Amino acid sequence: MTTEVEATPSTAPATPGTYGSESITVLEGLEAVRKRPGMYIGDVHDGSGLHHLVWEVVDNAVDEHLGGYCNKMDVIIHYDSSITVEDNGRGIPVGKHEEHSKKLGKDVSAAELVMTVLHAGGKFDHSSYKVSAGLHGVGVSAVNAVSEILKLEIKREGHVYAQEYRRGAPVTKLEVIGDSDKTGTKITFKPDTEIFSNTEISYGILASRLRELSYLNAGFVITLTDERDGGRTEVFEYKGGIREFVELLNKEKEPEHEKVIHIVAKQIAENGSEVQIEVALQWNATFSEQVFCYTNNIHNKDGGTHLTGFRGALTRVFNAYGTSANLFKEVKNGLTGEDIREGLTAVISAMVPDPSFDSQTKSKLVSSEVKSITESVVVEKLGQYFEENPQIARKIVEKAILAAKAREAARKAREVVRKGALDYNSLSGKLADCQSRDPQQAELYIVEGDSAGGSAKQGRDRKFQAILPLRGKILNVERARLDKMLGSAEIGTLIAALGAGIGTPEQGGSFDIEKLRYHQIVLMTDADVDGSHIRTLLLTFFYRQMPQIIERGYLYIAQPPLYRVKRGKTNLYLKDQAALDRFFLEHGVEGVAVRATGKGPTLTGEPLLRLAERMRLFRRALSKIDRRADAKIVAAVLRSAALGKAELRERKKVEAAIPPVRAMLERKYPDIFPLSIDVGWDPEHGAAIIKITPRPGSNARETIIDWNLVESAEYEELYSIDQDVRSIGPAPYFLRDTKKDKDGAEAEETQAEDADALWDAIDLRGRKGTSLQRYKGLGEMNPDQLWETTLDPNARVMLQVRLDDAVQTDQIFSVLMGDHVEPRRAFIETNALNVRNLDI
Amino acid sequence: MATCAVCKKNIQLRPENAFAPFCSARCRQVDLGKWLNEEYRIPSGPEEEEDPQVDLNGTNEERD
Repeated sequence: MTTEVEATPSTAPATPGTYGSESITVLEGLEAVRKRPGMYIGDVHDGSGLHHLVWEVVDNAVDEHLGGYCNKMDVIIHYDSSITVEDNGRGIPVGKHEEHSKKLGKDVSAAELVMTVLHAGGKFDHSSYKVSAGLHGVGVSAVNAVSEILKLEIKREGHVYAQEYRRGAPVTKLEVIGDSDKTGTKITFKPDTEIFSNTEISYGILASRLRELSYLNAGFVITLTDERDGGRTEVFEYKGGIREFVELLNKEKEPEHEKVIHIVAKQIAENGSEVQIEVALQWNATFSEQVFCYTNNIHNKDGGTHLTGFRGALTRVFNAYGTSANLFKEVKNGLTGEDIREGLTAVISAMVPDPSFDSQTKSKLVSSEVKSITESVVVEKLGQYFEENPQIARKIVEKAILAAKAREAARKAREVVRKGALDYNSLSGKLADCQSRDPQQAELYIVEGDSAGGSAKQGRDRKFQAILPLRGKILNVERARLDKMLGSAEIGTLIAALGAGIGTPEQGGSFDIEKLRYHQIVLMTDADVDGSHIRTLLLTFFYRQMPQIIERGYLYIAQPPLYRVKRGKTNLYLKDQAALDRFFLEHGVEGVAVRATGKGPTLTGEPLLRLAERMRLFRRALSKIDRRADAKIVAAVLRSAALGKAELRERKKVEAAIPPVRAMLERKYPDIFPLSIDVGWDPEHGAAIIKITPRPGSNARETIIDWNLVESAEYEELYSIDQDVRSIGPAPYFLRDTKKDKDGAEAEETQAEDADALWDAIDLRGRKGTSLQRYKGLGEMNPDQLWETTLDPNARVMLQVRLDDAVQTDQIFSVLMGDHVEPRRAFIETNALNVRNLDI
Repeated sequence: MATCAVCKKNIQLRPENAFAPFCSARCRQVDLGKWLNEEYRIPSGPEEEEDPQVDLNGTNEERD
């Protein structure tokens, strides 16, 4: 285009009326805008129309940028609320617009046409804007119409042109006012107070839209300046474009992968137009989806075909990846779009020539060709990205799988709770509720097995004690393996009985501790492996799903007795083996006096009990040391020679010890002879190595007494107890039944050859006249016995479960449940024997 | 350091972390699903093993 409009120096600004009647037709158009501004630029009272003016002008600059002609825009809010928008685009054409000039019968520049004719912007130079923001369509002329003053300045073709308007009408011609080698358009306008009830421009509104624009247009530098009170300037420059936009959106949200995924590609639609799709996406740890859609820089708040295409692509890519990576074993029903989009932050920006929208507000894109283009672009590029970044792909897909599982869990939980609620009336078949409705008073016993449950129901105090029998479910997995679990029906019953719901409110669950019906919840399981497993399962379930119950100290473990002993008229319940041993010893030393050979003291009562207890511990330590060496040989070495750490380091003492050791072994265990004893030396520890080899085929093992052995904890304990026993004097020992003392004369004594014999004698006395019952399960107790031992608040012993215990149980449980077979097997093997002590 | 029982992320325990022993409400929910689907099973042998009886007769010939 060439300059055909001759610049003439301007004199005093003319009034609209003096410009000439030729422009009347034009002004008629703008007059319509002034009469009905709401139709063209929106509400003139609430500020939306006012800001709309700025967008119209800004959009022209953005269009220049989209065309690749402009990389910079300055927006200034002046002190009088007038606005300047300046870009470095090509500048509005200043040449004579032939067609229009003919129509008007006078020369009219293209620029003036743009400023004075509605919808004129698109009428010229159509090919120069492939895609256009066209946000509002009415064009800058509408802005002109409602502006008290509008000043236009164009740098183009070596010159600077200027023109001024009042309420839409030119008051000057487009004149050359100087020269410049730059290009660009600068428009300053002052919204008309006759039209707008409020002309106060909001900095915040401008800033957020301009920021958005700069994200959507990577490399477009936008400067916003506010010259009103205070004054400020912000430069929006995002080289990363929508990638940086996504980064900003995810800033406080812990991204799942470090880098934002960026996709950009162009495709030719069937109608021949070129569509560009750009997507930036990143998943974060939250559960919500945040996707912003744009078409030609216009925000489509209701999405549209680009969003539909994008979502379809995600589903396809995820399912393809998950299937090929074999990740879907645990999600039977596959992933839904919602699972995939959980925690997704994305910006979709489509550049579409002549887009169609559902409405004037352009909240939804309806151009159908965009859907398939977006889908194919994203499937291709994201699929490629997943292939190139398998670790990230796996992480993101696994997150979606977790979402699917949670969704499934929520559905299942609702089902279980609903069933539980339905069952509550028929729950009476299982739950024997108490009369009290006061949670502080009410107790719930969760009892393993139906038979124990039945006894408990009969034995309880129904005023405040409820009984819920519960059985572990057993599944026959393989011939040699049974799996134990809590059946979902049992869990449902438990949840219904507790009355507090299940599931975290954050995930649509309903658990509320305040609704809990019992503040004493007592787990009562058998003292066997089975019971231990059920207890572990229940404890873990409470800790994981209702931790508040443990935190508030509502959870207990009953301590039913393991033994019942009867002796004469006494009837006693004993909780474990240690209590039973103690019982036997107490009775064993009753009415007994013990003395050693020689002048030593006579022991009775408490000192004798302590000695007997030490002897019992000797037995226990012996059974432990049997893993390292033959226990009977070790015992003989200690008893005959008192060989400890110090002695083992002295050759002479070791040599002197051999004959008595041999003598004692020969006396006690003749069948292990012939036997050899060899003494060697360990220079590293400066100690002897005594190797005792019994007759091959005898029931004794070769035993080596060396530094390692005597230094072990078991040996040290044995040594220390042996010293205690020696302190009362040498064997043999003599026992006297003091009850048989008559008329001041002491009864006859029986002789115990050594400490072992003495302990056996005491133990035998203790057992004499007692009958012992070992409860293999709770079911063996009758209702009265259950009440007396486990239910009666005045007699029972309960352990309160603390958080620490539960944490530990959970860890044990995790090992039991672990994916790794080997550690689990090892764990079960080493703990199988003392599984009883696992939890508490 | 404790880890989330579901996703194995490092976590803090209660009371700092209300979702312990999980990292989030999400993982607790997934755990609930596993309970209700009977996925938590303790494997064990076909026979229960008895505790070894304390050998009251000590180191006599019948030991082995």
